[in-house]
Amino acid sequence: MRARRTLLIRLGAIALLIILSVVLFFVGKSHTVLVDNKATTREGTDLAALKLVEVEVNKLGSLELTPRDRDKFDVTGQKHKVTVTYTDERWEEHTIVRTFTVPLMQDMVMIEVPALVAFPESEQSVWLGKYEAPTYAVTMAESNEVVTDDLAVFMSDM
Amino acid sequence: MTANTSKSKKLVRFLANNTVPILFLFICAFGIPLSGYSASYLISEIIVRLVRNSFLIVSLLIPILAGMGLNFGMTLGAMAGQIGLIFITDWGIVGLPGMILAMIISTPISMALGWLCGKILNMAKGREMVTSYIIGFFMNGIYQLVVLYGMGAVIPIRSKSLVLPRGYGIRNTVNLIGVRKALDDLLLIRIFGIPIPVGTFAVIALLCLFVLWFKKTKLGQDMRAVGQDMEVARAAGIRVEHTRIISIVISTVFAGYGMIIYMQNIGTLNTYNSHMQIGMFSVAALLVGGATVAKANIRNVFLGVVLFHLMFIVSPMAGKNLIGQAQLGEYFRVFVSYGVITMSLVLYEVRKKREQAVAGETLAAAQEVGA
Amino acid sequence: MNARRPIELGRRFVHSFGLPRIIIALFLLSLFILAPFAGVNVGTSFSDTLNRFGMNAIMVLAMVPMIHSGCGLNFGLPLGIIAGLLGATISLQVNIPGPASFFLAILFCTPFALILGWGYGELLNRVKGGEMMIATYVGFSSVAFMCIMWLLLPFNNPTMVWGFSGSGLRTTISVEGYYLHVLNDFLAIRLGRHLVIPTGMLLFFAFFAFLMWAFLHTKTGTAMTAVGSNPIFARASGINVDRIRTLSVVMSTWLGAVGILVYQQSFGFIQLYMGPFYMALPAVSAILIGGASVNKASILNVIIGTFLFQGIVTMTPSVMNSMIHTDMSEVIRIVVSNGMILYALTRKTEAAR
Repeated sequence: MRARRTLLIRLGAIALLIILSVVLFFVGKSHTVLVDNKATTREGTDLAALKLVEVEVNKLGSLELTPRDRDKFDVTGQKHKVTVTYTDERWEEHTIVRTFTVPLMQDMVMIEVPALVAFPESEQSVWLGKYEAPTYAVTMAESNEVVTDDLAVFMSDM
Repeated sequence: MTANTSKSKKLVRFLANNTVPILFLFICAFGIPLSGYSASYLISEIIVRLVRNSFLIVSLLIPILAGMGLNFGMTLGAMAGQIGLIFITDWGIVGLPGMILAMIISTPISMALGWLCGKILNMAKGREMVTSYIIGFFMNGIYQLVVLYGMGAVIPIRSKSLVLPRGYGIRNTVNLIGVRKALDDLLLIRIFGIPIPVGTFAVIALLCLFVLWFKKTKLGQDMRAVGQDMEVARAAGIRVEHTRIISIVISTVFAGYGMIIYMQNIGTLNTYNSHMQIGMFSVAALLVGGATVAKANIRNVFLGVVLFHLMFIVSPMAGKNLIGQAQLGEYFRVFVSYGVITMSLVLYEVRKKREQAVAGETLAAAQEVGA
Repeated sequence: MNARRPIELGRRFVHSFGLPRIIIALFLLSLFILAPFAGVNVGTSFSDTLNRFGMNAIMVLAMVPMIHSGCGLNFGLPLGIIAGLLGATISLQVNIPGPASFFLAILFCTPFALILGWGYGELLNRVKGGEMMIATYVGFSSVAFMCIMWLLLPFNNPTMVWGFSGSGLRTTISVEGYYLHVLNDFLAIRLGRHLVIPTGMLLFFAFFAFLMWAFLHTKTGTAMTAVGSNPIFARASGINVDRIRTLSVVMSTWLGAVGILVYQQSFGFIQLYMGPFYMALPAVSAILIGGASVNKASILNVIIGTFLFQGIVTMTPSVMNSMIHTDMSEVIRIVVSNGMILYALTRKTEAAR
């Protein structure tokens, strides 16, 4: 009886840890949100890049984008808010605020700002897309050798 | 008359028991002015070292309690912690959640490695320290097998930037920018311009409280009994082998957490070398704090970190100012690090022999009287 | 009925020889067999193995006295190596080129080996029971101490010191012009295009092996064995246990010194500073692979063990690299050598032959 209770408590603790791990995974997963101001096409219509637009994700500070410009925000977690402020031809300022969710296992996503501005009420798949970094940009120019230097003890700082 | 002699006897005994820390005090007293470093620089550096290393060194206390000597096998815990860090870096989990997740991942690995280590040490009773030392090297080979050959090939790694150009195996250095200072910055306050990571100190304090509480529990008392005399403990009904293994498992798990705390402070993972150095430096620091192979408490940990790292920091500059070559100071601090371990080991053995001789003589005298 | 006898003999053989050793021997044999298929020349491999055997054998032989006298595995071999390094550097400083420098080096290393060995032996006598751990750290501390010395000692032979400042020894010093290959080339036998047998070096080792064997059969030698296997009986027989132990340590240190000189003449370089740091481990695991234990060792253990260990170290990179295009030799070396030491440390009883 005592042994079974211990076993149950242990299994419960392990289950708790697994749940905690999953929660931490979700809470701590970092993503890069690219914001892009490039001319793009949606549903057949060409959308021009905006002359000047300010974009901010969450409260990370707004970034200005000129046409063909791209910038990024590093975020943690899945649900985020994007705020876009732009001035149209009639010199009126418009602000669009939208929330979006980043897919869990996707490292990088891209918001195409012209699409968001053109269809501000649409679902996020219209203006938010997945992004894969080109592999040549990712491999660092580091030395190939793995130095398993036993005596690195003496070269490093403790 | 008697008051004076007992006082001088007490002084002699105090000096004899604390030879190593006092020696280090001299070295520091000599080296600090020679190095020319300012007090505020030294204080901030020491705070950093305390933050980095204390957790790791506290993990050494429990095996000493159980009579296993200096647990050079803490390297195994360090390896488990590193593997946890590699995974969270690969998955892109950052900040405090990342750090905690790394700790959770390292725990089962540490437990398995610690259990294995404990089992092997039980087969080598009387030679625990050498054996744990060699286990560290042996496991390094297995670690390399996993990390240098398995990861990327058999164990899936998502991010290409972690992997060597040849397609498998983790790179020499892994940038831990995600979890860098994750715990340190949690509650960072500044006193006189010196940053003090209260968060990390709180965690270290928690561990110290745990160790103090643990010593009072039944398991802790069992370990102390096993540490003092295995056969007496066995006669009292304690499962000696099991208790010894538990002490190593606990130590290894904490060493894993300690390594993660160490790494989040440094911010870069030196994949193949960090864990090998850490064992030696942690042991040396503990011994400098006045601990011996058979007795160590929390006081030794903090005193040891301060003294040992002071010596470590001032040596190169002191060497440069004294003889003109900083390299000399660097070799000097390496020599002192190893020398202090040697001296502590020798003093321990000599003292043990003397105590056994005294015990033997009193026993013989008692028998004579009886006869 | 008839099948039972060989199985019984086989099992007894495995038990006495030790399963790990058999595995290692079979592994090495398979490497040699696979070599031609992997495009690795067997002759060259054999020469390399023999060469490395000769280089290391004397240092492995240095383990024998201390194992016999009960001081355990000599993890403090670096101390003897340092004596050898001092002999080598002083010999180069005296600057007499040619083979004579080798014998000068042996001459110069001897007083250092005697003094250091004596001090080390006295220390070990005071710490009976914890010799191996202390030996390890005595070795490390002395290497670190000598690092300071190599920087400060007044050497000035231009081949040895840093060119720019003129003082402080270089990390590696070439022995070319002095005793490079002095033993290797002596009476070397060339068989075909690939196989070269470094006869001189092997004869040199054989000489010392014979001396050791002879010593162990003298009165002092048997006293040493007695001290190791049964110190109480030895003391009761009137043997001065401490003196014999110190003698064994001195012998071990001196053999370590000569051993590193033999190593250097084949390798071509004197390695100072941190070079000797981990040099005890290969020698320790070699003798253990050969069948020794923490308190029993024979010359046969030295020969078999060095051959197996160096064979694996030589063959694994070339054969495995050609076959699976991965250089796992480092990992295998670490696992095999340390695993062997672990095996020896965890055994309760003495070992074979």
